[in-house]
Amino acid sequence: MNNKIISAQGLTKAYRRGSEEIFALKEVSFVVSRGEFVAIVGPSGSGKTTLLNLLGCLDTPAEGNLRINGIEISGLKEKVLVKLRRENIGFIFQQFFLLPTLTVRENIELPLLFSQKSNYKGRIDKITELVGLKARAQHLPHQLSGGEMQRVAIGRALINEPEIILADEPTGNLDSATSQKIYELFQELYNQGLTLIIVTHNIDLAKKAHRVIYLTDGKIG
Amino acid sequence: MNFFTLAVKNLQRRRGRTGLTVLGVAIAIAVLFILVSFNSCYEKHLNKELNNLGMHILAVPKGCPYEAASLIMQGGVFPKYLSNKDLNAVKKIDGIEIASPMLLHQFIGPDGKPHVAYGINVNEMKRLKPWWKVEGRFFSQTEDNAKVLGKDIAQREKLKVGDILPFGPDKLPFKIVGVLEKTDTQDDEFHFLPLEVVQKIFGKPDQITAIAIRVKDISKIPEVTRQLEKIPDIQAVTITQIMGTIMNLVGSARALLVSVVIIAIIISAVGIINTLLMSVNERTREFGVMKALGAKGADIGKLVLIETLFITISGGIIGLLLSLFGASLIEVLIKGVIPYSPAARLISPEPRLIGFCLLFSIVVGFVCGIYPVVKSSSLTPMEAIRSGLE
Ligand SMILES: Nc1ncnc2c1ncn2[C@@H]1O[C@H](COP(=O)(O)OP(=O)(O)OP(=O)(O)O)[C@@H](O)[C@H]1O
Ligand SMILES: [Mg+2]
Repeated sequence: MNNKIISAQGLTKAYRRGSEEIFALKEVSFVVSRGEFVAIVGPSGSGKTTLLNLLGCLDTPAEGNLRINGIEISGLKEKVLVKLRRENIGFIFQQFFLLPTLTVRENIELPLLFSQKSNYKGRIDKITELVGLKARAQHLPHQLSGGEMQRVAIGRALINEPEIILADEPTGNLDSATSQKIYELFQELYNQGLTLIIVTHNIDLAKKAHRVIYLTDGKIG
Repeated sequence: MNFFTLAVKNLQRRRGRTGLTVLGVAIAIAVLFILVSFNSCYEKHLNKELNNLGMHILAVPKGCPYEAASLIMQGGVFPKYLSNKDLNAVKKIDGIEIASPMLLHQFIGPDGKPHVAYGINVNEMKRLKPWWKVEGRFFSQTEDNAKVLGKDIAQREKLKVGDILPFGPDKLPFKIVGVLEKTDTQDDEFHFLPLEVVQKIFGKPDQITAIAIRVKDISKIPEVTRQLEKIPDIQAVTITQIMGTIMNLVGSARALLVSVVIIAIIISAVGIINTLLMSVNERTREFGVMKALGAKGADIGKLVLIETLFITISGGIIGLLLSLFGASLIEVLIKGVIPYSPAARLISPEPRLIGFCLLFSIVVGFVCGIYPVVKSSSLTPMEAIRSGLE
């Protein structure tokens, strides 16, 4: 099996703001191996979120090629992309995006509804415990702290047993003690053989990575 | 957790709006149900009612024949009369099976409202209306202090067989010897007495309001009508003509009613669709997140569809219940607007119509559910999430 789980070639993404085009990413190329732990760092506005969205197949690049598990992404139909996202990728948003009407447990369960894996009941409890929210399972998002919401988002990304975890600033607004818990969580996932790509400002978290990709003005360097 | 619980939780998030939308659907469906029910029942019942007159031709005094006919049907009184001479002339015409004279006289009842005394030839009338059943008995033609009441009037005035009441200008005691079983026609509203009694009591000897005629062979109706009109005082009106007149009379009022209702339904349908689309639109971001978590466009469509169907179907059911329970009130309102309407219930729980109304609410649900499916499948998850943030 191909050991390159992700390979990006000349990824470019531009946003339109009125008449001018803003290049959030310019010709970004890199490769991630299976089981690797990569940190993406860079100043605010350098294109980290944009890059992560492309890797998660949540957005389409203007130019360039992206292969996930050896499959070329560009030109794939939304139907195929959905399957790919569902089976390979766990995505953790910078702003969590939990569903406000669902409890902690239901938010973690939600991706199972779409993947229609029905024999996962035990797994929901296991994940809820893993992210340390067993006692809060029946709470609604608005009753949680920032760190707890972050952990719900992580649990939700893990439920479908993805190979790749993409996390956008998972310790963004957390104090160091809470951040520490989250590092440990990622460390454990990494030990289980998952591929981790994490956008972070946090030096401590970046230090734990195998490799750090620096982004400035949409370029690696 | 399944799609249904997800949908229900979402509806609960905006209870107020969900409730109002359900109410909107309920009202639209109720109005639709009433309108269609009324329209389909009106002509049917009118036809039935006219056939239940048991006659083919009505001979009335010359003047305004159509007006006279509808007046007679509703128990009104016409200022001109026929005489026994006319009756004899009618009876000589070939092809007539029954020619039965009647005299209608309006009087003020004990309740202060106008009542109609209906003088008949009882044996001929029983032949014209073989479905008449009476509780108690019919009077004989020679009895002069007996009457039979229509069912509605008996119920309203709480009268029963055996009661004795003062009647006529001289307040003579009259015994109620019978009450007609409900006919669902205007007959439920009359006081029936022998013709001669009505003539005597109200001082109209030899006067006849109209002659009800049944022919031996319906194909001879035109011929008999021609013969009748040779009698100088008489104008002949066939039941078909009366039906036509009433339909004309009612047609414009009905057209107005229908167009008002259609406009109301369109306005409320647009309102409902707007609310449903709005609630879907403001959740574009949420749908983007779901897609990022592995939801297909069809999954989101399923979710939205369950929500909209839940709203429209429960609205439909509530609307149907509303219109069935409110039917009698609404009938009174409609019958007040329409110049002539049959006595029978016009809004009835016909299964086919109920099915149609429910189907209609389901179709509205589908129409509203399809748009977000199309929209969300045209956006990448990130586009959806971003559009929701703006
Ligand atoms: N939807 C958008 N429309 C227009 N411009 C955008 C949009 N999203 C991002 N940008 C621009 O693209 C550039 C890169 O944005 P991106 O969100 O990828 O930065 P980032 O590195 O994640 O920043 P941060 O650390 O603050 O999260 C920025 O200049 C930003 O203003
Ligand atoms: Mg960012």
